[in-house]
Amino acid sequence: MRLRDIAYARSGDKGDTVNICVFPYNDGHYDHLRRQVTAERVREHFRDLVRGPVTRYEVPALCGLNFVLEQALDGGVSMSLRIDPHGKAFGSQLLDLEIEAPGADT
Amino acid sequence: MSAATPRLRIAAGSAYAGDDLRRARVAAESGVDVMCFDRLAERTLAMAHARQVSAGRGQDEEIDEILAVSEAVLRRGGRVIGNFGAANVAAGLSDTVAALRAMGLAGTTVGAIHGDDVTDLARRSDWELPEFGGTTADLGDRLVAAHAYIGADLILSALHAGAQVVIGGRLADPSLFVAPICAALDWALDDWDRVATATCVGHLLECGAHVTGGNFVDPPVRTLPDPHRLGVPIAEVYDDGVIVTKPAGTGGGVTVGTVKTQLLYEIHDPSSYVTPDVVADFSTIRVEPAGPDRVRVGPAKGKARPDQLKVLVGVNLGWRVVAEISFGGLGCVDRARLAEDIVRRQLADGAVPVDRLRADLIGVDSLGRVGGGPNDRPPAEPREVRLRVAAICPQRDAAREVARAVDYLYLGPAGAGGAVSRVEPAIGVTPAYVDRTVVPTDVEVIKA
Repeated sequence: MRLRDIAYARSGDKGDTVNICVFPYNDGHYDHLRRQVTAERVREHFRDLVRGPVTRYEVPALCGLNFVLEQALDGGVSMSLRIDPHGKAFGSQLLDLEIEAPGADT
Repeated sequence: MSAATPRLRIAAGSAYAGDDLRRARVAAESGVDVMCFDRLAERTLAMAHARQVSAGRGQDEEIDEILAVSEAVLRRGGRVIGNFGAANVAAGLSDTVAALRAMGLAGTTVGAIHGDDVTDLARRSDWELPEFGGTTADLGDRLVAAHAYIGADLILSALHAGAQVVIGGRLADPSLFVAPICAALDWALDDWDRVATATCVGHLLECGAHVTGGNFVDPPVRTLPDPHRLGVPIAEVYDDGVIVTKPAGTGGGVTVGTVKTQLLYEIHDPSSYVTPDVVADFSTIRVEPAGPDRVRVGPAKGKARPDQLKVLVGVNLGWRVVAEISFGGLGCVDRARLAEDIVRRQLADGAVPVDRLRADLIGVDSLGRVGGGPNDRPPAEPREVRLRVAAICPQRDAAREVARAVDYLYLGPAGAGGAVSRVEPAIGVTPAYVDRTVVPTDVEVIKA
């Protein structure tokens, strides 16, 4: 299944950095997302776009994950030649990630 | 929430220059006490500065409209606060005064925050540019502008001096909200937890319809009613909490989902969100439903504000060109790739000076290839594709040559159509961090 089947996301920019926050529709799937959507998998998913490190922040009070992708925007909104210099599409692009279905473990 | 009546009702009138101000009028007429207008993004201010240099008009171009949609608030004695001074606060102040007089509101007290424009100081200083490399002094005449983010303290001074309208340049987005919240609830600016909660309100509202259904719906999995007429957000602030809502009868929605996605929008470490006013911790905030289109938020935790202010430095990079042309039918991707090759060869043969150039096929991979896991299917071949060529060139003539090379593709591979191009100054924006004591700020309060 795809991440989009159980979660939603929003992305934004600051300079050359993109953040993507991800939330499950069902709070009970938070731990499953923590196990499935690691910083390493996000880095791999965006390997053609992101040159810097990917950091994951866990926010259990919101049942949310926040990914920070550095050197991700070809220099940032004012310098990038890309068609999406704000990185607004990153959130939806992350929802394309293939994940395991939540099972008995959730 | 103990009190039935909020201590303050505050709305976001706009999230950027170009936002739909008609939505703000609906909020103003719904009885809010304060309207805040964020009009600046990282790039907007550098563009305003370029306008200031070329035509002496660096202030916001819609000040009369901002005040017109806020009229109901002003006539009730409420307040309007915004960074619509942009790159010329003095001219923005005189536009504000003129607009108020034209509305029959002569005598209104107006506050102006001066000092965010540190362009001259930056030219004389050796401020490090950690993302761009080097220092401001190294830039020489490529340094177009430098603006420091100004916090709530100066806005609060203007409010305490009786200002009903407060205008500034690079006033920090959340600070526009922090000052009137602290003024209305008598919260001290060094009560870091409360300033963090006010900052949370500002952060949630500063992007306008982002928290009421904008940048959110994704049919069929995630929908909200009437996204064609979203409401602007309103925060009801109580002594012991905050409710985010929107005007009755507007479209979209305020849900736990819209609030959570906005709470972490453009945030890095959620436990350490740095503004000129506070280092806010959003990681322990509670977000709970409180009725239809009503969400309870907060409180946040805070630590002392930073000693440094962020400065955005505008750098002249030359000229930017974007040019596009379409191909359709079977084989369109191969023809578009050939077209890209033709453009690159023509520019090389003509020795056109180009600093950076990229070409993308819109509809194929222009947003970048992502995924590629074992379960990903190769996409079906599209039946239409648009070639987009973007470049930064040292001179305007070179940028125009790039646009022409794309236009010539009408005589390139078969069936090219719909060429458009745009050539504009390329102004890059990059941060510096300076001690707040070097930024020479000043508050001016006058009667319209």
